[in-house]
Amino acid sequence: MGLSLPYGPAELVSQLLVGLSRSMILFIVCAGLSFVLGVLRVPNIAHGSLYMIGAFATYSLSILFAGSSGFWIALIFAPLVVVLVSLIAERALFCHLYQREHLMLLLFTFALSLIFGDLVKLVWGAEYRSVSAPGMLKGSISMLGSSFPRYNLFLIFIGLVVAIALWLFVNKTKIGKISRAAAVDRDMVGMLGINVSWVFAAAFVIGCYLAGLGGALVAPTVSITLGMDHTLIIEAFLIVTIGGLGNMWGALVGSLIFGVTQSFGVLILPQFAIVFPYAAVVIVLLLRPKGLLKSVW
Amino acid sequence: MKQIITRRSFVLIPLVLAVLLILHPAAAMAEPPIKVGIIDTYTGPPTTYTYDVRDAFKVAIDEINAKGGVLGRKIAFTTRDDKFKVDICLSMAKELVMNEKVDILMGTINSAATLAISEYCKTEKIPFLVTFSKSDKITGEKGHRYVFSITENTVMIGKAAAVGLSKRPFLKYWITGDDYEYGHALADGVWGNLKKIKPQVELIGQSWWKLGEPDLTPYLTAISAAKPDAVIFATGAASMVNAMKVAKATGFAEKIPMFIHTATELSTLAPLGPEAPEKVMGTSNYHFYYPDTPKNKAFAKAFRDAYGRYPKVGALYGYLAAQFIAKALEKAGKMDREKFIDALEKMKIDSPVGEVAIRSYDHQAMLPMFMGVTKKVPKYSFLIASDIVTIPAKDVMPSIEDIKKARGK
Amino acid sequence: MFKRIVQPKWLGSVVAIFIVLLILPPFLPRFFVYVLALIYVTSLLAMSLNLLVGHGGMFQFHHAVFYGVGAYTVALILTKTSLPMWVGFVAGPMAATIVGLFIGWFCVRLTRLYFGMLQISLGSLIWAIVFRWYSFTGGDDGIHGIRMAPFLSSLNNSYYFILVILVISLIILYLVLKSPFGSTLQAIRDNPDRCAAVGINVRRHQLLAIVIATFFAGMAGVLFVVLERSVFPDLLFWVLSLEIFIMCLLGGWFTFAGPILGAAITVALRTFVGIYTEYWTLILGIILILLIFFLPEGVMGYFLEIFKPQAKEAAERRE
Repeated sequence: MGLSLPYGPAELVSQLLVGLSRSMILFIVCAGLSFVLGVLRVPNIAHGSLYMIGAFATYSLSILFAGSSGFWIALIFAPLVVVLVSLIAERALFCHLYQREHLMLLLFTFALSLIFGDLVKLVWGAEYRSVSAPGMLKGSISMLGSSFPRYNLFLIFIGLVVAIALWLFVNKTKIGKISRAAAVDRDMVGMLGINVSWVFAAAFVIGCYLAGLGGALVAPTVSITLGMDHTLIIEAFLIVTIGGLGNMWGALVGSLIFGVTQSFGVLILPQFAIVFPYAAVVIVLLLRPKGLLKSVW
Repeated sequence: MKQIITRRSFVLIPLVLAVLLILHPAAAMAEPPIKVGIIDTYTGPPTTYTYDVRDAFKVAIDEINAKGGVLGRKIAFTTRDDKFKVDICLSMAKELVMNEKVDILMGTINSAATLAISEYCKTEKIPFLVTFSKSDKITGEKGHRYVFSITENTVMIGKAAAVGLSKRPFLKYWITGDDYEYGHALADGVWGNLKKIKPQVELIGQSWWKLGEPDLTPYLTAISAAKPDAVIFATGAASMVNAMKVAKATGFAEKIPMFIHTATELSTLAPLGPEAPEKVMGTSNYHFYYPDTPKNKAFAKAFRDAYGRYPKVGALYGYLAAQFIAKALEKAGKMDREKFIDALEKMKIDSPVGEVAIRSYDHQAMLPMFMGVTKKVPKYSFLIASDIVTIPAKDVMPSIEDIKKARGK
Repeated sequence: MFKRIVQPKWLGSVVAIFIVLLILPPFLPRFFVYVLALIYVTSLLAMSLNLLVGHGGMFQFHHAVFYGVGAYTVALILTKTSLPMWVGFVAGPMAATIVGLFIGWFCVRLTRLYFGMLQISLGSLIWAIVFRWYSFTGGDDGIHGIRMAPFLSSLNNSYYFILVILVISLIILYLVLKSPFGSTLQAIRDNPDRCAAVGINVRRHQLLAIVIATFFAGMAGVLFVVLERSVFPDLLFWVLSLEIFIMCLLGGWFTFAGPILGAAITVALRTFVGIYTEYWTLILGIILILLIFFLPEGVMGYFLEIFKPQAKEAAERRE
């Protein structure tokens, strides 16, 4: 069934904005995944779990600091919790594996995802949690005759901020430039006297920070549950692949494609909206097998 | 570069076997308890329902055991987590039957897994009580002697919802929900029955999101653009809370009347707290505050004393399971599976929602449905159902004719 | 060639193991017979994947699709038609091979990670179709209570049947790996450019390997139905693909029988640890980490290292 209705420009813009806000979360998370992939050459399967920890931590922190500023405090500290967790995993275990085969690193991140998944269950229990948007971001704005949630507008804004911050980081800071260099040629970087292991650690931690930030930002818009990691990781991997491995702008392009095709798919063919992003991925890979933008590898 | 299998590497396989044999649980004790095995999902969103089933079952069983048990034996139960995966559910169910050697099996919230286990129980000839899965095939098309359902199914929900909705002025409907079998069955049940009672209603569109879809905002904004009179949400455990949350955040709930099965139920309303939207219509099998009978009050109090929280709908099913098992065993006279089934299929018991009987033809419990509207009240930190209308069990039961047809008789 | 392949040294122990496994059922509690049968099914699936991953170096990231296709094919034939069971048993692997060839044809155009990603996307499309096409595939309810010929109705008989099919499949896989085709495949894994330069048609070899691997994956799917009598969309889900991949890594993906060990460990862990705690995934994760640090060649590789140092050196030279 499903009739196609004459949607006016207001609805189209509204759907576009909704798609964009979804894309922004995907972008933040995928930028982190792509960054780690580029520098360490390892797809971090635990990335989804870190995102989930970010969301759960946001829940706990916003309960702890109840009141209207609770969410903002959570937004700052939840990604730091994720950073701490990932730093522990990295220094204790991961860094000893950098010399090993890639499949081993992949296996390690998979093991981490299993462990984190159950750890979340141990710490927070199996029931799902809910976080509300902070007072000033609640409700919606009437725009062009259609209402649009304030929080989603906020997400678009934050997405742009993060994109700019990332660009500055990668191009203007020393660590950023070294990371980029290490992504392209780690041996050369090592020969220049830079401790490659530290570069990897920094890159990993930054990637995980972004995963945690994504989780914190998404918390008010979804149910925070076990299994969020699985839902996210497959999308994240597909986005990173079609964007171009290791390329953060590719992550942006891929996220936009994903988010927007899905929200328009909902308008055009709601029964099959779920298929649109996968179909988009298939088309992209068939036409441009190496991804849309240049891969770092 | 030849890889040769060395003889000694195969020492490992007998070693593994030996380890497995050692882990085999210890033999039974002197006067063995009657063993019930519960296979259910104890990971993720479904736990908001399944924990209550298990916990209420425990309270009821403890009470029964305190009075000496049944037939001079205590009732013991053990649980397994299937993580909502059908293959794990099958393995665990088989483990409970073949390894733990349970007398009665109970579970699960995953409809596909329930159907799979139901077939297995038919082959093994072991009684299986379904505690939460709502597929009508369980006691309908795929029903058989060894399966019983003590929870409502999509046909019953559909009939109840249709009765409630037909009394309201809405004509143009939109249907949306989780894109899986439960969602579609629910929607078909509600719509089919509504159309029968009130032929003027019109379905102007449908949209379905993938199961577990985290962001429902684009779906709701698209629906509000179509301007229906009311929207029927066919959501399952995964999206229930999410849908309510987004409906509130986008202001959708204020503008467009929504109907969701279990919107009024505590499992949905508790996690949302005061953030839940008001004026949402819903159906439910159980409210701890309605009907306000002594039996219900006592039940809710016992649960609250034991666990420090109010009972949700799962608690009713857990309680029903315990009572049905105990009373049917008593009637049967001993733990004989066939006699147990003979007794159970004609059993009625008193419960917090009144008298509940098992219909002999399809082994379906006859449960009343309650339709209400969400409302904020000062007494509780969560919303409750108000303006509750009771739809008696006989008005919602699936027709035996339909079941006969589906079974090919 | 026969003499080269069949080493009398270990042939004896293999046959001995087979005989032991064959006569086990009457001596074991029913549940253990079931678990062993489940291990056999999973082993075949993991072995079929390893042909491509360990020996072919291909990023077969969504192998479960072919397993699921095989299972669903036999399920559909046995529930929607009254064709004899054997037709279903043959049709399952054939259908899996056809789908494998179709997906493979697209994937071999790409390399490494992109091969895998495209496969995940195409495979997920198939999963979505099976999941939504309720009237044909039963949707997410699945299909249950699938009929079997009377001789397979007992657990023990199913066990024997599965074991025999597993052993035949393993023999075939072994012969494939030892054949000139198998050697070429491994050469392609180690250095595809050099092989292409020498005139080997890399794509055709990879496609042929895919055909064989997906055939056996479909066969594993059929065996699953024999054991469980149910099919459901989880069988085609990417999580299962990842799990089988991990089984190969766990057992030792450069060895022949490593995946069997990986499958056995995973199934046993899941089943037996699952009895005692819900947190068996945590335990699996910890075991994997321990393995990575202490047994990097996988469990099988570790044993090879102890008993056959030359094989380990060969593996090391490869890294």
